[in-house]
Amino acid sequence: MEDLFIIIYNWLVSLLSGWGVGPVLVDIILGVLGSVLIVAYLLTLALFIIWVERKLVARIQDRIGPNRVGPWGLFQNIADVLKLLTKEIIIPDGADLVPFMLAPMIAVASVFMIWAALPFTRNAVGTNVSIGVLYIVAVSSLSIMAVLMAGWSSNNKYALLGAFRGVAMLVSYEVPMILTLLVPVFLTGSMRVNEIVGAQTIWYVIAMPIAAVIFYIANHAEAGRSPFDMLEAESEIVAGFHIEYSGMAFAMFYLAEFLHAFTISALTATLFFGGWRGPFVEQVPTLGIIYFFIKTFAIYLFNVWARGTLVRLRIDQIMSFCWKFLVPIALILLVLSMLVDKIATGIIPNYLDTTLLGMLPRTGILLLVNLVVGALAFGWIARTGRRERERLESRQIAPVERPAAGQQAK
Amino acid sequence: MTVTTIIFAVMAIFTLGGGLGVVASRNLFHAALYLVLSLFGIAGLFILLEAPFLAAVQVLVYVGAIAVLITITIMVTRRLMGPVESLNRQWPVAAVAAALVMATLGFVLVNQFSGISTAPDVPADGLTLLGAAFVDPAGFLLPFEVASVLLLAALIGAIVVARD
Amino acid sequence: MKEISPEATSDVKSVDAVELLSRKFPGSIKPDDRKGYEGIVVDSSKLPEVATAIRDELGFDLLANLSYVDYPEEGVFEVVYNAYNTAVGGKGLTFRVRTSRDEAEIPSLIGVWPGVDFQEREAWDLMGIRFSGHPDLRRILLWEGFAGHPMRKDWREPFYEEDNKPYGTRWPEGQVQRAEMKTPYGMNVQYPGGFKLEGWEPEGEEALYAGLGTPLGIGPDIHQIKTDQLIVNLGPQHPSTHGVFRMAVTVDGETITRLKPVFGYLHRNHEQIGERNTWLQNMPFTDRLDYFSSLANNLAYAISVEKMMGQEIPERADLLRVLMVELTRIQNHYSAIGFLLNDLGAFFTPVLYALTERELILDLFEATTGSRMMCNYMRFGGLAYDLPSYIGGPAIKEGDRERELDTMKFIKGLVYERLPRATDMLDRYLTNNEVLVNRLKGVGVLPGDRAIAYSATGPVLRASGVPYDLRRADPYSIYNEFDFDVAVRYNGDSYDRYLIRLDEVRQSLRILEQVVPRLEETEGQEYMGGKRSYNHRVPAGDHYGHAENPKGELGFHLVSDGGGNPYRYHVRSPSFINLTALEEMCVGHKVADIIVILGSIDIVLGEVDR
Repeated sequence: MEDLFIIIYNWLVSLLSGWGVGPVLVDIILGVLGSVLIVAYLLTLALFIIWVERKLVARIQDRIGPNRVGPWGLFQNIADVLKLLTKEIIIPDGADLVPFMLAPMIAVASVFMIWAALPFTRNAVGTNVSIGVLYIVAVSSLSIMAVLMAGWSSNNKYALLGAFRGVAMLVSYEVPMILTLLVPVFLTGSMRVNEIVGAQTIWYVIAMPIAAVIFYIANHAEAGRSPFDMLEAESEIVAGFHIEYSGMAFAMFYLAEFLHAFTISALTATLFFGGWRGPFVEQVPTLGIIYFFIKTFAIYLFNVWARGTLVRLRIDQIMSFCWKFLVPIALILLVLSMLVDKIATGIIPNYLDTTLLGMLPRTGILLLVNLVVGALAFGWIARTGRRERERLESRQIAPVERPAAGQQAK
Repeated sequence: MTVTTIIFAVMAIFTLGGGLGVVASRNLFHAALYLVLSLFGIAGLFILLEAPFLAAVQVLVYVGAIAVLITITIMVTRRLMGPVESLNRQWPVAAVAAALVMATLGFVLVNQFSGISTAPDVPADGLTLLGAAFVDPAGFLLPFEVASVLLLAALIGAIVVARD
Repeated sequence: MKEISPEATSDVKSVDAVELLSRKFPGSIKPDDRKGYEGIVVDSSKLPEVATAIRDELGFDLLANLSYVDYPEEGVFEVVYNAYNTAVGGKGLTFRVRTSRDEAEIPSLIGVWPGVDFQEREAWDLMGIRFSGHPDLRRILLWEGFAGHPMRKDWREPFYEEDNKPYGTRWPEGQVQRAEMKTPYGMNVQYPGGFKLEGWEPEGEEALYAGLGTPLGIGPDIHQIKTDQLIVNLGPQHPSTHGVFRMAVTVDGETITRLKPVFGYLHRNHEQIGERNTWLQNMPFTDRLDYFSSLANNLAYAISVEKMMGQEIPERADLLRVLMVELTRIQNHYSAIGFLLNDLGAFFTPVLYALTERELILDLFEATTGSRMMCNYMRFGGLAYDLPSYIGGPAIKEGDRERELDTMKFIKGLVYERLPRATDMLDRYLTNNEVLVNRLKGVGVLPGDRAIAYSATGPVLRASGVPYDLRRADPYSIYNEFDFDVAVRYNGDSYDRYLIRLDEVRQSLRILEQVVPRLEETEGQEYMGGKRSYNHRVPAGDHYGHAENPKGELGFHLVSDGGGNPYRYHVRSPSFINLTALEEMCVGHKVADIIVILGSIDIVLGEVDR
């Protein structure tokens, strides 16, 4: 069966050519159409994601959640969006207008731009650029710029503090993220996202579980979600960098946050969980989009779960977790598995085969490396934890010295 | 006038306009933002030259890291919302220096590249070739490693300085 | 981890104290021989020396209360101190200082007990007594544009009607006479002489910022300061200050170097209104202090007044009082833990589970007293009502609109099953959570001796290793008939302040398990001693009564002139005084920690600002 997306694409091309549109213009028109389609789809999806999140968190908290607007409260977010649309965007006195208004747009754009390189099915991918993975990292680093601009231009100290700690965190967590992002790249030998998916006859998460976990945690922090919600830490700096935003400007930050959280799930699904791969996807490529979103939502559930249950970490704890734990582990893992992989390529015949059976030896060897590194990491963290606890115990203060009974007045 | 020319013009305006904004802006934070714009323009030019890898690295390193670092430095060292006055009166000297650099570059450009009318073809596996060249002893292994050692030294130096 | 506080055996009699002190300071000490008064009167010039002796030689190391009374006929202000001994408990020592009304000035005791800091500022603010030697004597509850010192007896509020309630009719001879017409000023606000509202810059702000080390309006000089110090105002509008509370914080990066709490945004001069009210009218008014634990406030006020009246209380009333107060303590600690977790950044999950249990307790309060929070339940000599026979609850099955539960069954279900299970649940899910332990351990350490010096009470004091619980140290009501331990933890950090709340909940449940059978035995007995009256007359005298509230020692310093209204009604609020130690706990920690430390102190602004 032909892929639905190819059929539509071919039909559109023939339609436009029939109208006498030149091939360059057809490319441009279809590009614009595709972008609009993806963005519109994501915007609609965002309403649903937020609803899912609110419902799930409500259930975690022994509540019902939105249940008034529409069936099961499905239209609650539409009502919220309408409300936000009618609100005034208040620009604080002394704000720097251009960066102030630019920041929410950049925040949303940086998330949307990631989706340009994510394949929905084998054929439905915005742009299959040769540097896909690198592109994703590059555009997602733009969100830092948005945080900075919002924090600085709001003329508010909470915003500034939020931006400071946010930027420190985002820049730090980019390091383990990129390090583990290299894992699927070296396994596939390509930076094209679609090729990475195509090579995952056995999901990379099975070969490299530790890398997948680190990638997900680092991305989780990049999205600024609990327990890493330093940027907006409601109980500390009120709303952090977007404290002064109202109306749609605020809604855009809100949208960017939720979409980012969803996007990192999609990214993890793509790079480690085989993206659009699934049963019968070779015969019916259109099924890929369903598998892709099932996987994405499954991973997103962990995100919501963390939000509903975990307590926020402090900024210095977040930073030391990144630099003293994630980065070394990711580095060791990356170098070690590359070495082992290279050596094994020379020894085992047909080592780089990507058929189901052919992938088994490679997966097994890499899994072994992962398990070793994982065991070391856990041993290390247990030891550090024990030492930390001992340090804290030693800091315990002695009970108050009391005057002896004889010193009391008679 | 092709689409490429239009895009080139836009990117050139971004780059040059951003550069002008950097030196002309009174507000240091704005100057940093103009710098980001300028760096983006350069990334766009790389894409036009079919070097997407360089473009992505440009955005990742310059916009995502260096510009952010510069902005943070400005934010922590300067007074935030107060009036921003220039620290010194050296702009004429700077202008002369900039003009000299531009003249030199223009001279090189005209002298060396005047014969070329179209961009040379980029090999399809350019990225692979680039990667191989970095680790090929006949290629750029030595400069690559020297640069790595330099960066490592800088990294250690930064840690030492920060510890003091 | 727990130890029983020494039984209150050794009682340092003030007579002995007078002997010892007058030997040491001849001529400066004399016993207070007015009828109904106790303690000693100290000459103001010798106050710091005498206070030091009281602290070091007599062992009264905790200065629980500083109160101030105006005696215009004698032309004096009297400052009353109540010091207690945390090691042996028992009755405290009351000592007073008198100063002339015209030049009211006495030496500050901040060098002896740093805990008097806010209380001396309050006395300056409301009564206009100068404390020489206080480093930062500014108004604390009122703003700088406030004229006069409202606790003085000759001060009149803008809509002044009469000195004491019940007021005369506003319709004499059928003529409507509005309070506004009676106002001596013709407007509802008055400013000090020469005060202009336009362009007014709060003086206090400058003093506040100057106190923080960076002058206002002058940015840090980039050539002098290595890193930029930023002054951040946390609050007054802030989601985590538990009300309208503000902390001016100097941060270096994210590390706190100075912190000054600013409050008074909710100030309503509770004490002045309390002095207008009759004795009984103050009972519902105490609900509004710590609105989370109104029943405990009721008890503290009731026992203070009953002590002055010499009123006997029937057993059932005492049992019900203990039941209500301990349930109040449990629900307060549940919410405190829940909100602490919220401050830590949990997305409302723990607090919602904590509130679920609290709602059940409030169901009982509602059924018994008619209100969930502003209970107004206790009376002098007993209670307003007995337990109801049943409690209406929410429907559990579809179809039945309301559920009626037998009250005793409901209470038993709570005490024996539901609450122990909920406590274990909180314990299981929170106590060993890695993130929680990391965020709380070693944060906001307050060593025991500092806690005593800062007059901290309640869980804050006991988490610092001082087993001082008024239910044991100075027993009131019928607490000496119950078997329970004083919960104590030794590290003085936020984690211990969290743990001690769980410990106290368990001890409260222990008390309740002993209360419930006795409640069944006394079913149907009288719950009100003495005659029911709207207008009590309290014998002239002066008394400081206190009780162990969930948040600390709630004290009432009451002075009666024998009339139907309190002559002086001073509230020693635990939240207010526990905040004195906030700066010491916070310095050196991160911004995120301030919120946690504040949450671990557990304040209620209704009580702080009064």
